[in-house]
Amino acid sequence: MSAAVVDAGVRVSNVSKSFGADGARVKVLDDVSLTIGMGEFVSVIGPSGCGKSTLLKVVAGLIDADGGKVEIDGSTVRAAAADKRIGLVPQSPALLPWRTVLDNVRLPLTVNRRANAGRAIRDPKELLASFGLGHAMQKYPGQLSGGMQQRAAIARAFVFDPAIMLMDEPFSALDEMNRDQQRLGLLEFWQSNRKAVLFVTHSVPEAIMLSDRIVVMAAHPGRIDRIIDVDLPRPRTEEAYASDEFRELERVVRTALHEVMGGAHV
Amino acid sequence: MSETSTIDATASMAAAELADRRTRRDAPSARRAPAWLRPRVWLPTAITFAVAAFLWQVVAITNPYVIPTLDAIGASLAGDPAMYWANFLVTLQEVVIGAASGIVAGFLLAVVMAEFRLIERAVMPLVVVVMVTPIVAIAPALVVAFGFGMMPKYIVTALVVFFPMLVNSLAGLRDVDVKALDVFRTLHASKWEIFRDLRFPGCMPYVFAGLRIALPLAVVGAAVAEFVAAGQQAGLGSLVTTSAAQANLPVTWASIALLCVMGVLLVSLLAVVRKRVLWWSDGEVVAR
Repeated sequence: MSAAVVDAGVRVSNVSKSFGADGARVKVLDDVSLTIGMGEFVSVIGPSGCGKSTLLKVVAGLIDADGGKVEIDGSTVRAAAADKRIGLVPQSPALLPWRTVLDNVRLPLTVNRRANAGRAIRDPKELLASFGLGHAMQKYPGQLSGGMQQRAAIARAFVFDPAIMLMDEPFSALDEMNRDQQRLGLLEFWQSNRKAVLFVTHSVPEAIMLSDRIVVMAAHPGRIDRIIDVDLPRPRTEEAYASDEFRELERVVRTALHEVMGGAHV
Repeated sequence: MSETSTIDATASMAAAELADRRTRRDAPSARRAPAWLRPRVWLPTAITFAVAAFLWQVVAITNPYVIPTLDAIGASLAGDPAMYWANFLVTLQEVVIGAASGIVAGFLLAVVMAEFRLIERAVMPLVVVVMVTPIVAIAPALVVAFGFGMMPKYIVTALVVFFPMLVNSLAGLRDVDVKALDVFRTLHASKWEIFRDLRFPGCMPYVFAGLRIALPLAVVGAAVAEFVAAGQQAGLGSLVTTSAAQANLPVTWASIALLCVMGVLLVSLLAVVRKRVLWWSDGEVVAR
């Protein structure tokens, strides 16, 4: 086993994927390669149609790639899923409305129980408390605000201690003020619970605030255009927004997106 | 079935709280009294019934051979309550046993069809052929096959219930929250776990929409089956046919009224159960 494999939480190698019938096939991912280290937060940003959600679904094992391969902790996606090493936070909270918040967060522990053995399972109650949902554990999702629901969905993905966390625009359904609050909450929690994260987003400040690296993707066909390092010091807080480094990064990322989108305004 | 399907005490308390919040939101001016106690709610209904009863009486008094007066129907019911009660129970038994079998069979087939598309493709055409065959035409054939006992009545009742249950349950099992399903799949949940924790509770709004259609149909099925084959045990449907043949109109209409009461009772019971089980569902699903 080479050193690179040990270091990598996720290794995506030359993945390609096309959709559609013969003759009208659209290449959604073209030779995409990406490595996410253990405890590294990587955001994927790009115009719609660049395949960022498809990439996340391939890594999650929800879609099979046509070519290339994905390794999680050195094993296949299928083996990683069987071992419950993948945490998914979908775009909508997707909580079960007939279960309390606590029972929703417990859900990953009650399915595929074989994989529970010998892992650092978190106490769902403590986890909810650290997400500011201690008072809402016995409530039902329908009684919670959108932001609280999304936090519960994030807690559900952390509870079984997965090796990698996949988040598909988790805050996109929230209004801007709420979004900012949620992303700072996630930042704070993640900084003390480092995991490899693949985070798909539309928001430039969100990507900068959270990430170690930002993957800028281009569309038609979906491919990685460039990867921007975010060298803001950690732990980061809200103050980081006001720093010159943040603004400079924002300019760099926006310029990259601008070029990727062929001069269209972001 | 599992901890998800049984609503425990805390859940129903929360449900009451939820329902409470909803009604308050819907009618901000409402006081604590239940909605149906307010005249605005019950008065229009009461007036409609009063007008209908009045018109009925006018027709009945001027045309005594067409329909009996309401007091004649009441007198008939009061005159022999034991006879009516016995017949009511016979029909109710047919409805309960027949509907229960049809509901369970329809749901189970829906589960199998939802899991295996091939079985749906294979079996669905046959189901449709059976369902478009008029039930009134099948009933006499079933009597020949199964005799004058209760069996043909159970079968007819089950048959009419089966189709709406199958179609609605299937729609519910298919209409799964895709994002939640993605979460289950990344957890490598088994098919059974996905059914137990996601598909089964998630399809309940559709199941109840199916039941809303199926239960009144069950009463129709039982009555029709009795028309064809009175059998040793009569039932309200048989009472309708025999009394109509003798032009004993008060008995005919008293039996019809009791069939109507049975339907209303079943639907009301369903509404109560639905409220307890489906408190988490925002809206009523439109039945197919």
